[in-house]
Amino acid sequence: MNYSDFGMDTASLAGSLESKLAAIRQAGFSQVMISATEVVGHPQGTQAAIRAIRDSGLRVTGFEALHDFEGLDGQLHAYKVAVAKSMLSVCHDIDGRLVLVEASTSTHADTDPAKIARDLAKLAVLAVPLGIRIAYKGLSWSRTAKDFRVAADIVFRANCPNLGLAIDAFDVLASGVPLDDLDAVDPEQIFLVQLSDYMWQEIRSTEEATATATHFRVFPGEGAHSDALAGFVTRLDAIGYYGDYSFDVYNDDYLQMPPDVVAARALRAAEWLGETVLRRALPVPNIERLRRPAIS
Amino acid sequence: MTNAMDRETVPDPQNPLGFDGIEFIEFATSRPQALGGVLETMGFRPIARHRSREVELYRQGAMNIIVNAQPADVPRTAQPVEHPVISAIAVRVRDADHAFRRALDLGAWEIPVRARAMELNIPAIHGVGESLIYFVDRYDKFSIYDVDFNAIPTVDPHPPAMNGLHFFGVVQYVGADRTADWVEFYSRIFGFTALPNKVRFGIMPKGLLLQSPCRNFYLQLIEPDENARFAPMEENLQRIGLGTPDVVAAVATLEKRGVEFVTSEQVHSSDRGALTKASLGSVMFELVKSDPTDQAVAK
Repeated sequence: MNYSDFGMDTASLAGSLESKLAAIRQAGFSQVMISATEVVGHPQGTQAAIRAIRDSGLRVTGFEALHDFEGLDGQLHAYKVAVAKSMLSVCHDIDGRLVLVEASTSTHADTDPAKIARDLAKLAVLAVPLGIRIAYKGLSWSRTAKDFRVAADIVFRANCPNLGLAIDAFDVLASGVPLDDLDAVDPEQIFLVQLSDYMWQEIRSTEEATATATHFRVFPGEGAHSDALAGFVTRLDAIGYYGDYSFDVYNDDYLQMPPDVVAARALRAAEWLGETVLRRALPVPNIERLRRPAIS
Repeated sequence: MTNAMDRETVPDPQNPLGFDGIEFIEFATSRPQALGGVLETMGFRPIARHRSREVELYRQGAMNIIVNAQPADVPRTAQPVEHPVISAIAVRVRDADHAFRRALDLGAWEIPVRARAMELNIPAIHGVGESLIYFVDRYDKFSIYDVDFNAIPTVDPHPPAMNGLHFFGVVQYVGADRTADWVEFYSRIFGFTALPNKVRFGIMPKGLLLQSPCRNFYLQLIEPDENARFAPMEENLQRIGLGTPDVVAAVATLEKRGVEFVTSEQVHSSDRGALTKASLGSVMFELVKSDPTDQAVAK
């Protein structure tokens, strides 16, 4: 079995960075998405965290997340450039090749697409000497890019080879963006896809969306939208996306469970997606079977 | 009738910085004497020493090479080690401060000012790997070396170029699938343009050629071979290309001085170009047929 396309996110697990990395590795994953706080908040210091990640044998899917970067002016812009440079440097130190940038929610951000494209192009140029790609992610509660369609327009406008998209399945599902809109996106422009599900059928407000996004996500196959998620992944496969999938599962309950138990759940999600959804592809399996996947 | 263009300076859109070639290329090494020996066989002469740092200036014709043995004091810059590395390129521009600020606006990383009292503050940005790119605008009436360097007594400060040798370009090794990123970097910040694949100079045809906006300096970006694509990414400035109107004559002159050239089935000296064998483990020069007067006309 080969699940090398799928990776976990350190933010899904409780415990020290070392125990998270060990749990992810032991579960059978070969890559991991690293949260910046894991590195700079390491009790033995940043260098110890960098060593732990380099020694883990895991490939770094990406480094997350730069927030509220684009659309600012003057002092605020200069401040965010300094933050971005720091994140790029740490990403470089952990042998990361991708920094995730979430579309701005700042009320100070200018929403002019030309200005946003210019700022993101600057970020992309900053990343070139370090060999890093910038993945820009639309957020449904952002002011600058509410979904991947807007983000794709901005990325197209900025026109930098190392600037692309991160698409979060949660945003696509929660805001009901039609899957057909994926057909308009150049698969080469998608640098990262993040996958997660959630337990309720619909989300009624922005507040509920942010609360769900930050506390109640579950792994693919565990939630209420397995069909939609399977459709999303098969569509990405159909348009020719062959990059990484990362499980960006932020769940308060999982932070109260042992990391190896949570990592085992993540592996079941990878098995479901890899074997059932992508390999055997269609038709989309029924929910009952998803809840009790065959463990080989 | 007065041409409207004569009334004001309208910048060339292809050359927003007034890019005007290379002021110097710098090597970092912990064995400056050994590298100096290699440079002298290539026809360069030591002409000056830095006032406060362990840095020497070599010159031949219009080419300046700086040999820097001073331990690096800025992160992500080349620490002098035994194998010399190309640690900086200084580009000539119309207004160094303007070019530097514009580069920062576009996303270049600045280098902290390192000049001491009465020394020139030459603005610089990070380039590939651990290398730097300096911006110099004093190369016409004044020389940057008059301020920071002491001339070596009794030495001709302007040794002539052998066989019309001049800076032609630099070869940069880039990581797998990284050519487009670097094209973006050099075109946005400096106005370089990618040349079509059919345009080739010399005998080392790999990779992609970028032409400077002044059209007389080239960067050649080379990705790893297929079987090295999954090795850890290594990017650096690999070698200097020297132009000469007559490669065969230049090879003959240099061979008499003790320079050895690569002679293999794939790579060997011809009237189009030649490649020196690596000295000190890493220093190579490539000769390329090029006539500086042709290039001036091409402007």
